[in-house]
Amino acid sequence: MQKLARAGLLVALIAAWQVASIGGLPSYLLSPAEIAKEFFTALGSQELYVHAGTSLMRSLPGFLIGSALGIAFGLAAGVSRGFDQTFSPAIFMTYPVPKIVLLPLFMLWFGIGDLSKILIIALACFYPTFINAFYGAKSTRTILVWSALNMGAGRARVFRRIVLPSALPQIFAGLRVSLALSFIVMFATEMINSRSGLGHLIQAAESSLRFDLMYVSLLTIAILGYAGDRLLRLARSHALRWQEAST
Amino acid sequence: MKYLKPMLLIAGVLLLWELAAQSGLWNRLLFPSLVRIGAEFGALAFSAEGLMQAWVSLYRALGGFALAAAVGVFLGMLMGRSPFVAGLLDPLFSGTYAVPKLALFPIFIFVFGIGSLSKVALIFLECLYPIVIMTYHGARDVNRVLLWSAQNMGASRAEILRRVVVPAAAPFIFAGFRVALPVAMIVVVITEMISSADGLGYLVIYTLSSLQTDRMLAVVVAISLVGLALDRALVVLRNRLVYWEKLDAYYV
Repeated sequence: MQKLARAGLLVALIAAWQVASIGGLPSYLLSPAEIAKEFFTALGSQELYVHAGTSLMRSLPGFLIGSALGIAFGLAAGVSRGFDQTFSPAIFMTYPVPKIVLLPLFMLWFGIGDLSKILIIALACFYPTFINAFYGAKSTRTILVWSALNMGAGRARVFRRIVLPSALPQIFAGLRVSLALSFIVMFATEMINSRSGLGHLIQAAESSLRFDLMYVSLLTIAILGYAGDRLLRLARSHALRWQEAST
Repeated sequence: MKYLKPMLLIAGVLLLWELAAQSGLWNRLLFPSLVRIGAEFGALAFSAEGLMQAWVSLYRALGGFALAAAVGVFLGMLMGRSPFVAGLLDPLFSGTYAVPKLALFPIFIFVFGIGSLSKVALIFLECLYPIVIMTYHGARDVNRVLLWSAQNMGASRAEILRRVVVPAAAPFIFAGFRVALPVAMIVVVITEMISSADGLGYLVIYTLSSLQTDRMLAVVVAISLVGLALDRALVVLRNRLVYWEKLDAYYV
């Protein structure tokens, strides 16, 4: 019931939109009921699954590669001073640079197929995970490390039992940003240059004035983004059970 | 020496690049020499046309960002100080947070036209989220003792807002700005790459399709420098305005 009340504004907005559509909307604005109808029709066809699958096959590998490298490098820079001094300045300096501008270069180097898209997504996902893993590892309380060392734990054990758990909440925060970013970059690369995927679908629908298809792909990408975020939050609360319990 | 070591990696990468370019193993189109890129960058930076394109992009990015900053801080403050507004708006913002707003761009083109307005509107929307959420957290978690003391000493609501809540939330607001500003740059470049006849993003696509890769990389360098300069400027501004709290970061 409480959840229902909280979603009240969203429901009210959609209802207002539907009511406005009775008065007649411009052709590029479909009413929610129409969008829902078109969406369920599209669910029955194969086209939508193929495009959604193609998009996911680009964004997920990119997300996984980029964030795995980001976490590994970030943790390494967080615990090792030499590594930190070598890599961190370059990474922090290039952080505010929009990575998507490298897409044309990647297209020249790696072809216009999926590889250049996956690599640019990986590059975009690397930065938020690196920085969060880095700060996470840095924020480890020194007293915990000292105690563990005093009690005879080795370096590997200190890393696994102290540093990693301390950094985990920050790492998940970074993953959340990266996941959202992977969808944005995937969509952008497909809109700029592609023959398949949801970004291509929305672009093709726009130029052929198929507004129904445009909203269907929009809704699909919204659902995928939302579902991905939910899954990540589930994984987070599972991995951080101990944190919930201690507070 | 202290400033030299951090530059080692960057210098190494640049050196490798130049070696790859000079080695002749790859086509000059794939690895233009740094000298060529530098020359093109110089030509771009000192031509009226190049400056014009940069100005167009900057104007769109900053326009969208400024709108998002004004609306975002206002909404965030409202949400932070009123549980009713927070209950109303928070589900809306956190529910649609992970949805890529970029997907709305084709619809924005129909609503706002293919000019600057559709791009500014999209930048506004993408920047709004981090600013609202960070301001909300900052304004909500103001130390209650400070609020009580101010009330006790007879401060009015307006005074409390101006003298207690805004300063307490300021570091959070600037943290939101620092997330949003690179987002504004990303979105302006993407939208210009997708559909535009001007701006730096358009220049990237144009030079790519005419295979002037040295020129394209010069534009990429220009975009990077603009992104970097905006971030620096924001940090300087932040440290001026929020002078009582040091920026809690490592390399800034």
